[in-house]
Amino acid sequence: MSDSSPVIEIHELSKHYGEFVALDRLSLTVERGRILGFIGPNGAGKTTTIRILVGLSRPTSGYARIAGADCMTELPKVRRLVGYMPDKFGSYDNMRVREYLDFFGAAFGIPRRERQKRVAEVLDLTNAAWMQDRFVESLSHGMQQRIGIARTLLHKPEVLILDEPANGLDPEARIEMRNLLLRLAAEGRTLIVTSHILPELSRICDRVAIVAGGKLRAFGTLQDVTRELSQRRTIEIQLLSSTGLTATADRVKSRLEPDAEISISETESIIRCRTSSKDEALSELLCHLVTAGDKVAQFREVAGDLEEAFVSAARVAEAERAEKDGGDWGAGRPSVSEVSR
Amino acid sequence: MIGVFVIIERELLALLRSARTLAILVSVSLVFAMIVILKWPSSGVVTAVLDQGASNADLSGMQAQNVFQWLSYAMLTASIVIVPVFPATSLVTEVRRRTLELLLNSPLSRTSIYLGKAGAMLGLVAMLMFATLPAMACCYLMGGLSFTDDILKLYAFVGFVCTELVVIGMLVGTYCRTTESALRWAYGVTFAMTVLPVFPDFMFPGGTSLISIGFQWLKLISPVSAMMQMLNLGSVGGNGLMESRDTLSWYLGFATLFIVGGSVVCIRRLSHALLDQARSQGIITDDQAQWVRATRRVLYVVDPQKRSGGILPFVNPVMVKEFRCRQFGRMHWLIRLVAGCAVLSLLLTLASAKGTESRGVEYTGALIIILQVALIVLMTPGIAAGMIAGEFEGGSWNLLRVTPLTPGRILRGKLISVIITLALLLCATLPGYAVIMLIKPSLQQQVVQVLNSLILAAVLSMLVSATVSSFFRSTAAATTVSYGLLISLFAGTMLVWINRDAPFGNAVVENSLRLNPMAAALNAIQAEGFQSYNLVPSTWWVCGTVSIVLFVVLYCQMIRLSRPD
Repeated sequence: MSDSSPVIEIHELSKHYGEFVALDRLSLTVERGRILGFIGPNGAGKTTTIRILVGLSRPTSGYARIAGADCMTELPKVRRLVGYMPDKFGSYDNMRVREYLDFFGAAFGIPRRERQKRVAEVLDLTNAAWMQDRFVESLSHGMQQRIGIARTLLHKPEVLILDEPANGLDPEARIEMRNLLLRLAAEGRTLIVTSHILPELSRICDRVAIVAGGKLRAFGTLQDVTRELSQRRTIEIQLLSSTGLTATADRVKSRLEPDAEISISETESIIRCRTSSKDEALSELLCHLVTAGDKVAQFREVAGDLEEAFVSAARVAEAERAEKDGGDWGAGRPSVSEVSR
Repeated sequence: MIGVFVIIERELLALLRSARTLAILVSVSLVFAMIVILKWPSSGVVTAVLDQGASNADLSGMQAQNVFQWLSYAMLTASIVIVPVFPATSLVTEVRRRTLELLLNSPLSRTSIYLGKAGAMLGLVAMLMFATLPAMACCYLMGGLSFTDDILKLYAFVGFVCTELVVIGMLVGTYCRTTESALRWAYGVTFAMTVLPVFPDFMFPGGTSLISIGFQWLKLISPVSAMMQMLNLGSVGGNGLMESRDTLSWYLGFATLFIVGGSVVCIRRLSHALLDQARSQGIITDDQAQWVRATRRVLYVVDPQKRSGGILPFVNPVMVKEFRCRQFGRMHWLIRLVAGCAVLSLLLTLASAKGTESRGVEYTGALIIILQVALIVLMTPGIAAGMIAGEFEGGSWNLLRVTPLTPGRILRGKLISVIITLALLLCATLPGYAVIMLIKPSLQQQVVQVLNSLILAAVLSMLVSATVSSFFRSTAAATTVSYGLLISLFAGTMLVWINRDAPFGNAVVENSLRLNPMAAALNAIQAEGFQSYNLVPSTWWVCGTVSIVLFVVLYCQMIRLSRPD
């Protein structure tokens, strides 16, 4: 399989629980060595998708494949291809860390000698070798997260699916975790990572998928996603000097929609606008400023952040649900037409 | 004082809202109603007979007394089986959910929290007693009973026993970390303080040695001997003779001391220390000095702190995991178990020899069988009921599902780990039967039949507990239901046997006993009351078939639970 070929393929995946639609025709692909940030509000359908991918749940329609193996019909193959770390650690009483990993190694059929070597390797990799003799139930949440990752790596899976791996980690451990995930991706492993710590995700993921209300709201690179979902874009207009900054700001305001937010930074000689104007309108604004004699040094769009995109997707889902319910559940919130471009 | 009522209100309402409590209350009412129905005079209502001046009138009130005795024992048994569950799990649940932290940080004192919790449990006890009132009222209407001397006294006594059981449960709850271990220990301590103390005196009655005198004193801490005296039923091991000492007063004295002492300890332990337990630092002998390693090798034989090797090839990893994560499943504990069983075996052998001299082989054999089955019923749910429910509770079931282990392999590993433990228990009691065979060689065939029946009892208990476990997501619930089912199976069928003359006929009793391998064992040894039945091998067939059905259900459950949802 070439590097650009998709390792994870999800096509029109749906999951219904009676009347409730947990997943609605979700489709995406992830190439080898990529890290996909899978985000969405609580109850969005993330865990349902992950459970289908690892063979814990059966979809109502559609299919999912991992390295060509169908997640419904080729379960034994999928289990060897995937390392899954659920959000709940899965502890056993009276078991030491080394024994815990040894058990899962044996469950994956790794021969004894190789298993012992492998356990030492994964403990080193996750910086958890010092806790090998501790009892698993006595570990703190952060320590358990490391052991959880170590467990998923035991059988050298091609794909890692990690549910909230950074949850409960201190800042230092979070940096270590980030580096570990980047290292694993560099080794050619494909990762799906869910997290609610969005700044953390945005630093490691090269693909982002946002789900809300069971639907895929956005999928692509971080920039694509934020652009797709942000209701307003941030434009920075830098002048050569701060002289006439207020007058220029007034001109900008007159050319944008009435509720556009405009702020001025005199020290930077920058006018920042948050606007929902389209590219054409912005082009006209630039022409107008130049014609008016404003000395524009830079006219650029600042990339939106993941948080904004996330909130936007969640609002769309809420509004859809409110419309479907027909009640005033979503009163005061923007309608679908308002929030989607 | 207001704090006490706040806690009582919170706890009692939570208890009464649960379906489990409702089920228990309904079951108690039904069982007591059943006892009255089964023991109701067949000639009609006693008072009606008296009015007509018929010759068969129960003027002495013997029938009423008989029913009353049954109800009294049933109340004591119900208390021992039901009451410890609630206080034992209450504190552990609070610690695990971290709600105890909130309580301790509130202005409530530790004494208020303790008294509130204990008060709520006693409130539940009162509800349980209310559930027995209709049956007791019927019994009273039969005549021959005094309201104050019999009924009120009995309720006061059972209330006192329940208070002791609540203290046992609360005390155990402050030492255990999981609901499963709290349940196991609560039942164990309750059994050790109520039933076990009467056995030594029963097995070795009337001696004058220091040990025999010790045994005679030991039974005074049990409510069983106190209740026997209260009901004018002689004493345990007294062969129908009345006990010269006032066992009731002695018991009340010992129990009061325990209640006060236990409460003080419990209140002292009810602190932040319960939540602030040090995490194990994972000390390993392999990393310690040479002399420490050598000393530990001598002291422990199998050092529990030694770094264990990897799971061997061709060994089911689930079986090894089950042993390792069980509290007493490690090798050093298994060695202790074998040693304990060997001591038990020696005691049984001694008891067999002594008992055979005074009461005959059949009687002694029957006692050993009952003791063994009691041990099986007590142990098996603790080991097997958490088999699958525990995986759900700990969140590890999904981890097993994503491994290449097949449902069959997981099940095999889990069952083998239980079978090995139960086999050790059974093997330990073999010398007792060897003595019986030595004394009466003609019993060899019967002893083999007894052993077969006991193996079947163990297998049946294991499969009942394991199957129950596959239907629950909480170990505590699975364990309680397993205990309930096994007690119904082994004791319920014996209830039918007890009423073998009326209202049940021979055929009904025999068919009921076919569900109970203990009855088959008693039949094989020709114990008194079981000679007239023909239970071997029909019971084996019935129990074998039930076991196979349970295994199939369990296997199907495993497949269902392992499949994608």
